Amino acid sequence: MDADALRRFGVPVLTGLAIAAGLGALVLLAGSVENSALFSQWQPWILLLALCGVMALGVLLARKLWQLYRDFRDHRPGSRLTMRTVMIFGALVIAPLIIVYLFSLDFINRGIDSWFRVEIRQGLNDALVLSRSALDLRLREQARRTEIFARSLRDLRGPELLQRLDEERRATEAKQIVVFDANGRASALSSDTPVAQQPSAPPPDVALQVAAGHSYVSLNPLPNGQYTIATAAPIADAVSARAAHRYVLIDYEVPQELSALAEAVQHTSSQYGDLSAVREPLKVSFQLTLTLVVLLTLLGAIYGAIFSAQRLTRPVQDLIAGTRAVGKGDFATRLPLPSRDEMGFLVQSFNDMTKRLRRASEEAMRSRQAVERERERLAIILSRLSTGVIVTDRELQLHSANQSAATILGGSFETAVPGASLAQFAAGNMRFSTFLDQLRARLQSGLDEWREQLTLPGEAGQRVLLWACTPLPDERERGGVVIVFDDITALLAAQRDAAWGEVARRLAHEIKNPLTPIQLSAERLSRKLLGGMNAEDASVLERATHTIVQQVDAMKQMVNAFSEYARAPDMKLSYFSLNHLITEVAELYRLQDPAIEIRLELDPELPEIEADRGRVRQILANLITNGIEALAGAGDGCVELSTRQQRAEGAATAVISVRDNGPGFRKEILGRVFDPYVTGKPRGTGLGLAIVKRIVEEHGGRIEADNRPEGGAKVLVFLPVSDQDRTLFAGSERRVELRRERA
Amino acid sequence: MALLAWPLATAPGLAAGPLDGDFEVRSAFIVVDRGVLQLNAHVQYPVNDLIRGALQDGVTLAFDLDLIISHRRRFWLNAHMLDMTLRRELTYHTVTDHYVLRNENGEEQESVPTLEEALDKLGRIEGLPILVASQLKGEGPWQVAVRAGVRRGRMSDAMRALMFWSDDWHRTSEWYAWTLTL
Repeated sequence: MDADALRRFGVPVLTGLAIAAGLGALVLLAGSVENSALFSQWQPWILLLALCGVMALGVLLARKLWQLYRDFRDHRPGSRLTMRTVMIFGALVIAPLIIVYLFSLDFINRGIDSWFRVEIRQGLNDALVLSRSALDLRLREQARRTEIFARSLRDLRGPELLQRLDEERRATEAKQIVVFDANGRASALSSDTPVAQQPSAPPPDVALQVAAGHSYVSLNPLPNGQYTIATAAPIADAVSARAAHRYVLIDYEVPQELSALAEAVQHTSSQYGDLSAVREPLKVSFQLTLTLVVLLTLLGAIYGAIFSAQRLTRPVQDLIAGTRAVGKGDFATRLPLPSRDEMGFLVQSFNDMTKRLRRASEEAMRSRQAVERERERLAIILSRLSTGVIVTDRELQLHSANQSAATILGGSFETAVPGASLAQFAAGNMRFSTFLDQLRARLQSGLDEWREQLTLPGEAGQRVLLWACTPLPDERERGGVVIVFDDITALLAAQRDAAWGEVARRLAHEIKNPLTPIQLSAERLSRKLLGGMNAEDASVLERATHTIVQQVDAMKQMVNAFSEYARAPDMKLSYFSLNHLITEVAELYRLQDPAIEIRLELDPELPEIEADRGRVRQILANLITNGIEALAGAGDGCVELSTRQQRAEGAATAVISVRDNGPGFRKEILGRVFDPYVTGKPRGTGLGLAIVKRIVEEHGGRIEADNRPEGGAKVLVFLPVSDQDRTLFAGSERRVELRRERA
Repeated sequence: MALLAWPLATAPGLAAGPLDGDFEVRSAFIVVDRGVLQLNAHVQYPVNDLIRGALQDGVTLAFDLDLIISHRRRFWLNAHMLDMTLRRELTYHTVTDHYVLRNENGEEQESVPTLEEALDKLGRIEGLPILVASQLKGEGPWQVAVRAGVRRGRMSDAMRALMFWSDDWHRTSEWYAWTLTL
């Protein structure tokens, strides 16, 4: 049985045991009081039951006291009140109990002593002496009478003897007169009973005493309280020695009054003797009994005091516990109603109060939840917005900001707490710092509402933001503003792409057509006029027409490039090994310019990709050409090509990395290297990377350009491995694009 | 009450009392006379001045003779054929200076001048009819046991209950047992 079960069942079991033992002992005692033999038989069981009852009561009391002490020691709520109440109850019970006990002890001693006062004993002895004297007088009188009567029987025998016996019996009212012969046989009998009966044998000492010549007298008590006097005297027969052994035995009845008085004295003396014998044990018994009763009463009273005190203080303890629970925010606390008195009213008031508190708390909770839901909804909306939102005050202390704001500005607000300075998030971030400087300048100049375009510098190129500021309606006095901004860099690039596409189409259409007649005309002029001209003129003409033809060719190339840039996508997809294609193209360029090292680091695990082989070759050619051109004049120029497979958001992509150790992209064009007509080379159309970007995008891929930390340029091309990956990659790219657009 | 009474009653030092001395059933037997079982027994009771003094102070002593006739049963408790007690009283008659012997109901009474004579009379039970032979159930033999007891008599049971812890006027002899075969 575990401690909890012991605690739950132990007390009722012990209580039941104590009650049952006490009742059992009482029943056995009551049953055996009427029968001393039963009492002797049941005495051990009575003792055992009483012992069990006392032990159970003792255990219960000890448990209560220990519980009380433990509560007091642990400063349990209400324990001091309980202890005080118990002490008061105990004092109220113990003090009168002890007084009553002491008085009772004295009373018992005095009472019992009073039963055995000297005067009583003396009186009894006197009565006894008086009774004996009266009876002795009677005895002597009857003895003398018997002696006289015995002498009168001398030599009388037969009918004379019987007649004399009858006369004497009637005269003296004797009960019986018997004459015994020398053999102890009754020779004559006179009795007052109607039916003659055989006389009983005389006492043994009668014959002896009479034989010695003495008379005999004896007083005998009867069961009915009467007394008889037996007298005997020898009959002095003169004839023979044999006759001298005759004797007469007379039974006299003591008068009833005298017998009653003597019996009363005897009875009283006997009772007094009985009581006297138990005088001291009786006192001790009474004292012991009283002590035990007082002890049991005391134990019971203390137990009752503890029980009552606990019952009395239970509502107070409940109130304390309830108050603490309410203090901790548990408004569901309800206390049981102890009674309908003042304490009950107090508990009822407490319950009403907690009920009202709970209702108010629930209202507040609902309001908080509504506010929280609105805040979460706003946070979700803000987090999903591609637009950056920052709420701050004029001291540029952050109130709130969304993720897009951090993304666009290249920072992070993850550790931001309301009231934090925005400057701490801009440290080491050029774009964010510029944004913050611009914001500070405007706010300090008194502006609190604007909508403008803002260009921010960055290591990866410039970013163009469209930002607007609006003061918060209820924060105007405190200077709170909300800044909303969008990264429109991609939008502007797309607009430029679209514009350049239009230009390319127009160039292809409007310029390319006249170029062929111009070139043919120049060649015809040269052929027709060159033969009829002198050498000097011919030389001039030849140079002029040659220049025209060359420029027209150049223009054709430029127009073709534009045409290529503006052409409609028409891809022939097939599976091929990208590693093989790279190896093939690289080999061509190794042969073309052996001074430039072309190093390959190809991933052997790279699978075949599904793409337009010719366009991919064009990508590779443009990128290698750019690299080689960037390394022109460098002694240890090296172009590194590497491939690897990358899996992002379920889409498998082949990544082509082209790096050189040349001067890298100029910083001012780094963000626009894929724009048409943006080139870092002195001679170039500026369409190479633009075309590469377009081909990559036609394959659903992505291209990035950056400078290497150790020097040189780096271009990364991400191509989906298959059409399925293209779809997946497009999805992920749209998300990236969204983020990028946000940025 | 019992809590304090127990150690007092069982304390070795308090065991010595007025009834100390020779106290035993010397002999006992049963004779069958015309179909009636009659008990004959000789009990030795202690004699001393404490008893004499107590009697002369008015104390009444009760003399019990317990008799049990049982039949042994296998695998079960013995069957009691007879369970009886012969109860007699001894008092000192102050007025007549005699010792008075009575039976339980006081119908029969005998007075003797000396304590020794009184105890001798109490200790000799002769021809006490106890049972008719036909009342013995089952087949013999039967177990017979006799025990004598002395206690303070004429004390009310309530008083006896009150003083049970200190009553040293109570003693019983060992059982005197034998097998009865008819």
